[in-house]
Amino acid sequence: MRSSPFRFPERVGWRDHVVGAGLASVYVAWLLATVSTVGVPRDEGIYFRAGSDYIRWWRMLLERGREALDRGAIDSCFGINHEHPSLMKTLFGASWYLLHEKWHVFADASTAYRLPGMLMAGVALWVTYLFGARAWSRRAGLVAALLFALMPQVFFHAHLACFDVPITAMWTLCVYVHWRAQERRSLGWAIATGIAYGLALDTKHNAWFLPFVLVPHALFVHRHAIARSLKAGRVAIPSSLVAMATIGPAVLLALWPYLWFDTMGRLQWWVEFHRHHEYYNIEFLGKNYFGPPSPKSYVPVMIAATVPAITLLLFLAGVLDRATAGAKRLAAWARGVVRSARRSPGGPSLDDALAREARAARDPRETDLLLALSFLVAVGPFFLAATPVFGGTKHWMPAYPVLALFAGRGFELVADAMRRALQPRDARGWLLAQAWLVAAVVVAPLAVTAHAHPFGLSAYTPLVGGTAGGADLGLNRQFWGYTTQNAAAEYLNDQAPRGATVFIHDTTWDAWARMQDEGRVRRDLRAAGTPGEAQYALVQHELHMNEVDYSIWVADGTDAPAYIVEHDGVPIVSIYKHP
Amino acid sequence: MTRANAACKLRAALSPDWKRVAQRWAFAVVPAFGLLELVAHVVQTHSAPAAADWDAARAWVAGQAKADDLVAFAPRWADPIGREHFGPAVATLEREARPDETRFPRAFEVGIRGEHLAAFDGWKKSGVVRFGGVAVTTWENPAPAHVLDDLVSLLDPRRAHVSRGDADCPFAHAGAQSGNLGFGPTIPGDRFACGGGGFAGVSVVADLDYYPHRCIYAPPPGGPTPLRIRFDDVRFGHSLHGHHGLYVEAERNKVGAPVTITFKSGDSTLGSVVHRDGEGWKPFELDTSALAGQSAELRVEVTAPSGDRRQYCFEADTR
Repeated sequence: MRSSPFRFPERVGWRDHVVGAGLASVYVAWLLATVSTVGVPRDEGIYFRAGSDYIRWWRMLLERGREALDRGAIDSCFGINHEHPSLMKTLFGASWYLLHEKWHVFADASTAYRLPGMLMAGVALWVTYLFGARAWSRRAGLVAALLFALMPQVFFHAHLACFDVPITAMWTLCVYVHWRAQERRSLGWAIATGIAYGLALDTKHNAWFLPFVLVPHALFVHRHAIARSLKAGRVAIPSSLVAMATIGPAVLLALWPYLWFDTMGRLQWWVEFHRHHEYYNIEFLGKNYFGPPSPKSYVPVMIAATVPAITLLLFLAGVLDRATAGAKRLAAWARGVVRSARRSPGGPSLDDALAREARAARDPRETDLLLALSFLVAVGPFFLAATPVFGGTKHWMPAYPVLALFAGRGFELVADAMRRALQPRDARGWLLAQAWLVAAVVVAPLAVTAHAHPFGLSAYTPLVGGTAGGADLGLNRQFWGYTTQNAAAEYLNDQAPRGATVFIHDTTWDAWARMQDEGRVRRDLRAAGTPGEAQYALVQHELHMNEVDYSIWVADGTDAPAYIVEHDGVPIVSIYKHP
Repeated sequence: MTRANAACKLRAALSPDWKRVAQRWAFAVVPAFGLLELVAHVVQTHSAPAAADWDAARAWVAGQAKADDLVAFAPRWADPIGREHFGPAVATLEREARPDETRFPRAFEVGIRGEHLAAFDGWKKSGVVRFGGVAVTTWENPAPAHVLDDLVSLLDPRRAHVSRGDADCPFAHAGAQSGNLGFGPTIPGDRFACGGGGFAGVSVVADLDYYPHRCIYAPPPGGPTPLRIRFDDVRFGHSLHGHHGLYVEAERNKVGAPVTITFKSGDSTLGSVVHRDGEGWKPFELDTSALAGQSAELRVEVTAPSGDRRQYCFEADTR
């Protein structure tokens, strides 16, 4: 076979960063091209406001120096939404101030606020590609990044100035840097791990669970050295863990000025807030959940219903492959222990067994273990009865890059099998065959993801029958009231008389005002807080929102909507017109 | 083909060569699966019934349905689309927010995606007419109840009187009071308004499963004082059949006081039923055989030890 002109050097290097950056750029460009059709969800309105306040403080710091360091100045700016750390909101605010207010790059303030979230989605793709390329192959990395990008719910959340995609990116980055630190064993990578962990901590509280991934992994990687040092009466702790434990919290504290006063009290409040978080309503399999116990099947069913089936198939293939390899290794280790025990009546020689195991281990980075832990720890809490599940899939999104990486591994196996079957004679033919294979596994996720927009929370995958299949199963239709923008685009902006009042249901006043400021909702329309005082009333369909529907029936004297925003024939928003 | 021949062919098919070929090309399952998912996506995204199908079904049902027939939509999530196309004249509030299906002799079930409502499981199917993606199934109720009087329809100042303890609650035409999530059922504009904020009026409650029920919204004041409703000239049959419940958010946490409803006529008490939180839209049936064939007043008393968030609603009919 002739060598391909497109072949990269075997060693993963700067060219791969170019590929990762290219993937990220294309994804961010796609997000920017589609962002204006996503209405403003409830939470975003708060985060926009917090972002503006946080950046006000940074400007105060630059302009007035010490004055900004007073507790009053800090609390007045960082007091809003202090249940979430500051990194992303600071970036949202910085983007808004620089790209909208100052340089007018974006006409819409919301697009400027949202850009850092989109860039974080790009970072997630970039790191996923690098991870896959280094762990298995460039082909695996590429397919992993594409399959991660083409998950409809990831695509939806990637548009928003929220924390779920950013923590997915930071989680993946932190795991990746930690993994590299175990391989390189240099001080630089150890420090990078600490910094990455600090940034993850300052992104969202999912990062509290990262030690359950990184600590056991690092201890296992360094088990021989740790065992030797223990025998010598010393305690050896991997430097990356030391960095995580020291630099990580320091970064969190440095970037979140709200913690500079009453630090322990505020940290404790932060933890308690999320330990005892309020339960919100969420529909699952036709039942409305509003408190514990959460359904145990929630995670697997929602993953099966929202991640394209081809991605899941490749994921299962990849997991099976790695699990088989792990099982063989475990069996080899067990045989070694048994043989050692037989040879030495005084007991098994642990050294012998460890040495055999070390020989059997082909990957000193223990990649399989790390990825397995990362996946299981990200989804694990959502199997607990006490964990609220109101966020749908977004709360375990940090598991998805790993899911995609295993899918990339699965793709690698399929591609190898194809090569054995086709036995291509030239590089060009083999390249075309691979391109065709990539297209075959990517085309359905691409079509499903593109079609889901902007109803990414309502859309379900073909495996469960699409959006209508999800509705048949009684899966959550949406949350956050962001589809008011679709109601305006499809009906209100054209049909409502000048100055008409609209009951905006689950949409917040902040979100409504933002959509009006940006011309997404007609500016003369007036929001109303109750159906009875409005000429038009919206119902964003969720099971527990039925009560609002019925309230409108009595208040308006009619049960017939004037118009319904639908996705694939499934009601998303009903619009009532007061007779 | 003889059995021996078939076995021979099967053995040939499973020969090592065939297995090798199958193993060699097994990878093709993955791209095939990907393309199959794409095909499924295309089919699913083009399978929603057209508006014209709904409108055609509406025209047919409107021509067939009598006042006492039920018109219902399946699956449940398609109900808003059904109401949009059928309009309030066919998808009436009485049909949409029905207490149950027992009173309807016939039902037109307007369904999509081959879905049916469980409510018609014991009914006899008498026909199906299709309008593109919309199918109208006609069901016959094997044992429809004959309703004599419906208390919800009788809650009118000409037929009913409301008092809170000994204080009258005059009938008023005011604006409806509605709210967002958590407010509870709309307090209707036409209502008997009592001092201290109490009232009785016809509204629609969302039950524990978020189904709608048209009912008499009559929150008990709490303590020993009952909310009383007196209906004049009620035609009695052999039973008083009804349901009661509370607004879903008022009863789902199961921390509220039980609500007792008592039915009386003349000097006799027909019966009392208690609703405890978590029981949802609870049915009850009282024997009124002693009054069958007579018209008489019917007095209803609603009480609860505490009035805290007792957003109580009931319906009953004589049959």
